[in-house]
Amino acid sequence: MTNEQILSEIREANLTYLMLAQNLIRSDRAEALFRLGMSEESADLIANLSPAQILKIASGNMLLCRFRVDDDIVWNLLTNHTTRKVDNDATTRLHASILMAGRYSEAMQP
Amino acid sequence: MAKSVLNESRQIERAVALIHLGARLQVLESETDLSYERLLRLYKEVAGKSPSKGQLPFSTDWFLTWQPNIHASLFLNTYEYLGKVSALDDIDAIMKAFKLYCEQIASCDVEPLLSITRAWRLVKFIDNNMLTMTRCSKCGGHFVTEPYENARHFVCGLCEPPARAGKSALAGGIMLH
Repeated sequence: MTNEQILSEIREANLTYLMLAQNLIRSDRAEALFRLGMSEESADLIANLSPAQILKIASGNMLLCRFRVDDDIVWNLLTNHTTRKVDNDATTRLHASILMAGRYSEAMQP
Repeated sequence: MAKSVLNESRQIERAVALIHLGARLQVLESETDLSYERLLRLYKEVAGKSPSKGQLPFSTDWFLTWQPNIHASLFLNTYEYLGKVSALDDIDAIMKAFKLYCEQIASCDVEPLLSITRAWRLVKFIDNNMLTMTRCSKCGGHFVTEPYENARHFVCGLCEPPARAGKSALAGGIMLH
């Protein structure tokens, strides 16, 4: 990957993310906050962006979306990597879903 | 209070959404101000059949058995998440959380065990302190438990499944291996 490619991929990912987020927030706010895992304040901000603003914001050298949980337990469950009493793939993902749905603190403004 | 047409239309809209989700008539009666007769007519019109009769059979025990507990916990975590991040009427939060629960269950190839009526019942049990959520001391997830569960030693059914759990040959159940 050349540097130019990297920048264009990041731009692409940012655009997709911002447009998806905007659509979700506009169609059902509460549901969007859950799906996106973001605070009301961030959601308001994104909902009000104009297409020109989205284009501008998307074209930086940094990705705008990031890992929802920085937590070993959740990632081990999602990837089913650690040997546990339960190693069924669907069940460990279900377990991870329960843990992730319980993490609303990240979506609350401090 | 004067009858507001707008309010009534909102009530009907809510009732229709609940009927589409498969709610029992008792849920509609409790969550809207519409009369029993109107709800009955609405139910027949929307569902194309008469509503099931009889009492709601569920006790708190059902939510504490292994598989239903996992389903109930996923739903309740989602419900509480929605409640924490935005101001919604309880019943709207229940409907949204139920939809999200069904999506998540489907993505794990598991059959949904919770119905909208059971989900609604669960929230009522929580509101009345007949059930609560306790944090698992191993994974840190919150699970539906009895109100007096010892939080210090509580381990959830996914970290330590009971001996006979996951042995059911039924398709769409939660499997251990």
